[in-house]
Amino acid sequence: MVHTALEATNAVVTLDVALPGIVWGWIITMNMWAKSIGTGVIFLLFYLLKKYPDAAENLRFPVTVVSLVFIHIFLFFTVIDLHQMFRFWHIFFHPHWTSAITVGAWIVTIMVLVLFGMAFASFIKKDNKLFDKLLGWAVVLAVPVTLYTAAIMAESTARELWQMPTEAVQMLLAATLAGSATMILLGEKLPYEAKRDLGIVLGMSALIAFIVYMSELVFGPMKAEEVMATLEFVKGDGEYATMFWIGQTMAFIAPMVLVWLSVANKSVSLLKLAAILALAGLWITKHVWLVIPQLLNMS
Amino acid sequence: MQLGFLVDLHLCMGCKGCEIACKVENEVPLSTWRLRVKYVDVGTFPETKRTFTPLRCNHCANAPCERICPVSALHYIDNGIVNIDKERCIGCAGCVMACPYGAIYIDPQTQTADKCTYCAHRIASSMMPACVVACPVQANIFGDLDDKTSNISKYIMENQGDVQVRKPEKGTDPHHFYVGGGNVTLNPLASFRAEGHSLFNELKHLPIGGHH
Ligand code: SF4
Ligand code: SF4
Repeated sequence: MVHTALEATNAVVTLDVALPGIVWGWIITMNMWAKSIGTGVIFLLFYLLKKYPDAAENLRFPVTVVSLVFIHIFLFFTVIDLHQMFRFWHIFFHPHWTSAITVGAWIVTIMVLVLFGMAFASFIKKDNKLFDKLLGWAVVLAVPVTLYTAAIMAESTARELWQMPTEAVQMLLAATLAGSATMILLGEKLPYEAKRDLGIVLGMSALIAFIVYMSELVFGPMKAEEVMATLEFVKGDGEYATMFWIGQTMAFIAPMVLVWLSVANKSVSLLKLAAILALAGLWITKHVWLVIPQLLNMS
Repeated sequence: MQLGFLVDLHLCMGCKGCEIACKVENEVPLSTWRLRVKYVDVGTFPETKRTFTPLRCNHCANAPCERICPVSALHYIDNGIVNIDKERCIGCAGCVMACPYGAIYIDPQTQTADKCTYCAHRIASSMMPACVVACPVQANIFGDLDDKTSNISKYIMENQGDVQVRKPEKGTDPHHFYVGGGNVTLNPLASFRAEGHSLFNELKHLPIGGHH
């Protein structure tokens, strides 16, 4: 690895252009965060309707609205991040199918149509059968909608930190974490058993996501020098170290402990606290992971 | 036809003639660049040496920028150049995130992506790229890699063993080669760099698309 030779060569850049600033910043973080909620609640609604059909009966319409709102927040932040936002329609008229951006934009468009169909079925037609059929399609579509940001990150060849399938796993876990957290906050009238199930999904998502992040932190640098250089920003007194650990604690460590305590004590308020912390922590975690590879000089 | 570049770093003397020629030819806005010459000093006084490395788009055969572009604004043309259609670009910056060489910028005037095109417009009129013409020591060698008799092909043949590309591990298959390069010149992680280090201005970061 080159850093070992650095001391010997004492190579110093003496004249160059300034480094590029952050290209994808908080707007993209908002995008990923809102999308995790928008797709996650669909996964969890599907689960609740299968396991607790009577108790979850009334969640059909409100959860569809929450999903629609967050998917639209996600779309809003996607579009405003474009430097030429009024050319957004080019994606539909000049699609380039090797791009995960294109594939994702098309799938999310179909998903939005299905979600509107679900809203129509539950609010206007009051047809649960139709709703459940559409929900099945929404679940299928929510998987690629959740995953396509991971595919964009994987196609970002310059950013060695973002690898597949790790990012895919993290995106799915972000959806189950955010979805279960939102459902805990929404499902006031659910029986305790359903809330406990949501808590377990939250706790397990947090645990696995935490393990994956820690594995990357420890083992990533052993494989690639760019990963090593990138992770320096979250290690020791690195620029994003504090933010990284705040994110990990809020998103994963605290919710894991709180879910465990809440199950042990049958406490719903602890679950709610875990849910709020997980949602806030997820934003911070995603932001740090988005920004740090962009701090590295590419040339 | 497959056009390519080769820079002989033994010859380059860091005059930045190519950099200026590129700026003028392509009207590259302030705070952005298509081609730049980076200086890296090596060693400890009095045993020191200054290296010069011209850096531009590599026109990769397996270009991540072309792959990630959702609207084919970045596309290949018949002579192998990775070109850009600024009218089609939506400014998603996917290409900026994908290029492992930091070769793409968002033009602050048009708010679209831009980069070195090997002066595709000049080539279409049978002229050499502006940087090639400006170089006083002919360190920039440009030509058809598919033609065994071209200058660039001959240069590669003659210097086998000393021909390198940047970041080969990325699998981009660049059509841009260096003779006389090394870790210090071709690997950005192999040199210390004070943030925003620049002799001529106090700019800390390049503003993306003209706004921070
Ligand atoms: S060097 Fe960068 S901008 Fe040029 S073709 Fe390769 S990936 Fe694209
Ligand atoms: S910024 Fe423009 S050229 Fe780059 S990927 Fe997006 S649409 Fe394509």
